[in-house]
Amino acid sequence: MDATVKSTYTGHEEHAPQTRAAVFWRPSAKTGLMSWLTTVDHKKIGFLYGVFALFFFLVGGVEALLIRLQLAVPNNDVLTAHQYNQMFTMHGTTMIFLAIMPLSAAFFNYIMPLQIGARDVAFPRLNAFSLWTFVAGAVIINLGWFMKDGAPDGGWFGYAPLTSKLYNPDHSIDMWVMGLQLLGVASIAASLNFIVTIINMRAPGMTMMRLPVFTWMTLITAFLLILSFPAITIALVELMMDRLFGTSFFEISNGGMPILWQHLFWVFGHPEVYILILPAMGVVSEILPTFSRKPLFGYPIVVFSGATIGFLGFAVWSHHMFTTGMGTVATAAFALATMAIAVPTGVKIFNWIGTLWGGHLQMRTPMMFALGFIWMFMMGGFSGIMHSAAPADAQQQDSYFVIAHFHYVLIGGSLFGLLAGIHYWFPLMFGRKVSEFWGKLSFWVIFAGFNATFFPMHFLGLNGMPRRTFTYDGNLGWNEPNLIATVGAFILGIGVAIYFGVMIYTYFKGEKVRRDPWDARTLEWSIPNPPPEYNFAVTPTVHARDAFWYEKHHKAEIAVEKAEHAKEDEAHGGIHMPFQSIYPLVASVGLFVMGLGVAVLGGGAAVKLPVSIAGIAIMFIGIFMWAHEGNEGYHIHPKKEDL
Amino acid sequence: MSSSSATIDHHHDHTTTTGIPNKKLLMWAFLASDCMFFGCLISTHLIYRLHPPPDAPVARDIFSIELTSFSTFILLMSSLMMALAVNAIQKNNLKSMRWSLLTTIFFGAIFLGCQVYEFQHFVHAKGLTITNSILGTTFYTLTGTHGTHVAIGVLWLILMYVRSFQPVNTAADRGWFWRGVLHIIAITGVVMFSMFAVIGLTHTLQAGEGLLAFVSHDFGLLIGLAVSTALSLFLARPRGPVAFNEANAIDVESMGLYWHFVDIVWIVIFTAVYLLEYI
Amino acid sequence: MSTHTATADHHGSDENKFQIYVQIAMLLAVITGVEIVGIFLPFATWLIVTGLVLLSVVKFMYVIFFFMHLRWDKPFCTILFFIGLVLASGTTWALLEIFGAQDSIPLTSITS
Repeated sequence: MDATVKSTYTGHEEHAPQTRAAVFWRPSAKTGLMSWLTTVDHKKIGFLYGVFALFFFLVGGVEALLIRLQLAVPNNDVLTAHQYNQMFTMHGTTMIFLAIMPLSAAFFNYIMPLQIGARDVAFPRLNAFSLWTFVAGAVIINLGWFMKDGAPDGGWFGYAPLTSKLYNPDHSIDMWVMGLQLLGVASIAASLNFIVTIINMRAPGMTMMRLPVFTWMTLITAFLLILSFPAITIALVELMMDRLFGTSFFEISNGGMPILWQHLFWVFGHPEVYILILPAMGVVSEILPTFSRKPLFGYPIVVFSGATIGFLGFAVWSHHMFTTGMGTVATAAFALATMAIAVPTGVKIFNWIGTLWGGHLQMRTPMMFALGFIWMFMMGGFSGIMHSAAPADAQQQDSYFVIAHFHYVLIGGSLFGLLAGIHYWFPLMFGRKVSEFWGKLSFWVIFAGFNATFFPMHFLGLNGMPRRTFTYDGNLGWNEPNLIATVGAFILGIGVAIYFGVMIYTYFKGEKVRRDPWDARTLEWSIPNPPPEYNFAVTPTVHARDAFWYEKHHKAEIAVEKAEHAKEDEAHGGIHMPFQSIYPLVASVGLFVMGLGVAVLGGGAAVKLPVSIAGIAIMFIGIFMWAHEGNEGYHIHPKKEDL
Repeated sequence: MSSSSATIDHHHDHTTTTGIPNKKLLMWAFLASDCMFFGCLISTHLIYRLHPPPDAPVARDIFSIELTSFSTFILLMSSLMMALAVNAIQKNNLKSMRWSLLTTIFFGAIFLGCQVYEFQHFVHAKGLTITNSILGTTFYTLTGTHGTHVAIGVLWLILMYVRSFQPVNTAADRGWFWRGVLHIIAITGVVMFSMFAVIGLTHTLQAGEGLLAFVSHDFGLLIGLAVSTALSLFLARPRGPVAFNEANAIDVESMGLYWHFVDIVWIVIFTAVYLLEYI
Repeated sequence: MSTHTATADHHGSDENKFQIYVQIAMLLAVITGVEIVGIFLPFATWLIVTGLVLLSVVKFMYVIFFFMHLRWDKPFCTILFFIGLVLASGTTWALLEIFGAQDSIPLTSITS
C-alpha cells in the first residue's frame, strides 16, 4: 500500500526539539505494520475504513445468501429458527454499521479534505481513534459467531422486551449492545472531526457555497450522526441497565414501557437512514456533472434539499411505528411529515436529471452506477411514499414490502452510489483505472441480480408474507417469488464477486493512468495520483465553484498564484505535518477490553468488573499520553514534480 | 496586567477559516450532541413521571429539597470559579488560574459528595433503589449519568491543574512526568478523602454523635486526607518556569465549556426532576 | 449589567468581565432561591410550572451567553449549539405529547 504514500520525511528537524522523555517515543515508520497502526494520515485511515467495510460487506452478503437459501423453498431446513434469527439480525447490523457506514466514512476521510484544499482533518489523532474504535466495535459484535451463545439474534433494531434478560438470557444481546456503543463513539468522534474540518480548514476562497456537493453531504451527514446517535446511546444504556442491573426501563411488571425503546431507537433510526443515503447522493452529485461535461444543475437547491432532508429526518421517526397504536393525532402528524420529506428528495432527482439534460454524456462505469442509482433509488422512494400513508402501511408493516422498499433505497441507492464512487476515485487513490468492459459487466450483473431479488418482494409483501420468519408453508402463493428472489440473490452475489475480482486485479495490475483521467471538476483531481503525503504541494486558492475546472481554464493566473504561495511556504520552513502516534490505538484497545468485560465475558462480577476497570484504565492512559505528547509535528518540502 | 491583545487574540484564530479556534468549535459541536444525549435521558424520566404505576413511591416524601438546593448553589459557584479560571489564564495570570481551578475542583467535589450522600440516604433511609421502582430506575440513571459527567469534569480539572506545573525545561528536570503523575494521585486523594470524610461527618452528626466519634470512626480517612494534602502542597512548590501560559488558554476554555454545560444540564434537572415534584 | 462595555470593546474589558461573572453568579443564586421558595407558594399549578420553566430558561441563557462566552464569540458557535438544543427540546416535547395522549396511557394506570 506504499503507493498511496510518498514521503520526503528525512527524520531530521531543522530546529532541534527539546529532548523528550522516553515515554513520548514518536513512531516514525513509513512502511510496514507499525506505519498502519500509528498512522494519522486521512488517506491511509480512509483506505483502512474501506478495506474493513468491504470485508464486512462480504460477511453480510454471505449472511444474506444463507437467508435466501433457507427461503428458496417452503418448509426448508437449511437453517434452524435460531440460526435464521442470527442471520437476519447480523445481516442488517453488519450491512448498516459495518459496511455502508464505514464505506461512506472511507470516502469522507480520503476525499473530503482533498476537496476543500486541506492537508488533513482538524484532529488527525482523533481520526485514528475513530477508526480503531470502529474496529473494536465490529469485532465485539461479531464475536458471538465464535461463542456458544451465538451471534445477536434480536433483530438489527433490538426491540424490547425481546432483548430483555428474560427473553434473551445469553450474552449475544450484550455483545450487540456493547458493539453498537463502541461504534457510536467512533462515529460521533469522526463526525465532530469532519464538522470542524469542513467549517474551519477550507482553502482560501473556498466559501461554503463553493464546496463540492460531496463535501456538503459529508457535513450534513456528520451533523445527523452527532445529533441522532445520542438517542440510541441512551436506549442502549437503558437496555444494558435492564439486562445487567435489573432496572425497569422496559420491564412492564415494574412500570416500564417497551414502546419507549421503539421511540428512542427510531429517533436515532430514522436519521440513520439519511446518514446511509446522503453520502451516496453526494457521490452521484460529483459523478453526473463530470460525465455529463456540465456543472451540477441547481447547486444551491441541491445543497438546501440535502439540509432539509437532514432536518426533516428528525421529525418522522414514528412512521416506523404506525401500527403500535399511538393514536390518531400522532399517526397523522408523522404521516404528514413523512410525505413532506419526499419533496426535497424529489427536488434532488429533478436536479440530477437537469444535470444530464443537454450534457455530452460519457457512459463510463461510474456513470452507469450513478444512473442506476437515480432509477433504483426512485423506485425505493415510491414504495416509501406508499408506506407514508398510514392506512396502507397497516398492511405493509412487517411484511416483505418493507424489505423491498429499503433494499431498493439501500442497495439501489446507497450501495450503487458507493460502488460508483470506488470506480470514480480509483484512479486518484491508486493511479490505475478499472477496465471499462469488466466494470460495466459487474454493473449489469449486479443490476440484474438485485432487481430479480427484490422486485418480487413487493408482491410477496402485498400478498401477506411476513418478515423475519424462517420458513413458510407451500400453499400460500409465495413459492415462485421466493425462488426467483433466491436465484436473483445468487446472481447478485456473482455480480459482487466480479466487482471485487476486478477491483483486486486492477489494484495490482490495472492500466495506469495520468492525473485527472476523467477531466473532472473538483480539487481532489488537481494533485498527483496517488497523492503525496502532504496532499497539495501548495494550498490552492479557490476562485469559483468547481474549483479545479476554473484552475484548468485559467492556467496562467493559477500558475502565478501557486509560485507566490510556494515561496511563502518555503519561507515558513516547509509544509507542517503531524507526527504519527500509537496512543489513539491504545485508547481504542482500552475501550475494546472494557467492552469485553462488560458484555462478552462470563464469570459474574468477579471477572467482569476487574476486566472492565482494566479496560477503562488502559483507555485513560492512552488519552493521558495522547494529551501529553503534544501536537508539534515536523516539516517537509514538496517534491518539485508535485507542484 | 493589561489586555492580552498584544500577543494572543483569544477571540480570533487567524489559522482557521472562521476565526473560531478548532478546539472550541469541536467542544461546541460535542455539546450540541450532548444536548440530545441528556434530552433523551430527561425525556425517559419525564415520560415515566406522566403516568406512574399505582404503587409508585411518592418523590416528594423521598427528596430533600434542602440538600438538593445546597448542591445546586455549590454547582453554580463552581461554574463561577471556572469562568474566573478561564479569565485568569487569558490574562496570563497563572496563580489566579490555579486557585480558581482548585476552588472549582473543591466545589465539584462537594457536589459529588452531596450526590453520594443523597444516593446512600435514599437507598438506606427511604428504601428507593434502582431496581425496586421505575422512579428509582429513572432517577438514579439520570442523576447518576449527570454525576458521572461531573466526576469526569473533576478529573479533567485535576489533570489541567497538574499540567500547569509542567516545567519548560523537561530535559533538565527529568522526573517531571512521574512527579506529575504523583501530583495527580495526591490531588485525587484530597478530593476523595475529603468527600468521604464529609459524608462520614454527616452520618455521625445525624446519628446524634459528636465530633470525637467522627474522628475515631473515620480516622483512616482523616490520615489519608492529611497525607495527600501535605503531598499536594509539597509538589506544588515553585520549581522554575513552567510550560503553561496564555497560549494554553484555549485548553482551559474548552474544559470550561464542558464544565458549564454540566452546570446547565443540572439547571434543567433541578427543575424537571426535583422542583416539579413539589407542585 | 454593564452591557456598555460589551459594545465599546467587543472583547469585553478584563476588569469588567470579572465583575460581570460575579454579578451573574449572584443573580443565578437569587433566581434559584426564588424557585425554591416559589414551589411552596399557594399559586395555581400551571402558574408555578410556567414560572419555574421561565426562570430555568433565564438561568440557562445567562450561563451560555456569559459564562460560556457566546455573547462575545462568533455567531456560528451559538447557531451550532442551538441546533442541538432546539432539536433536543423538540424531541422531548414530541415524546411527551405522544406519551401524554390518551392512547398511550398504560392500562395499569387506567384501571387503578
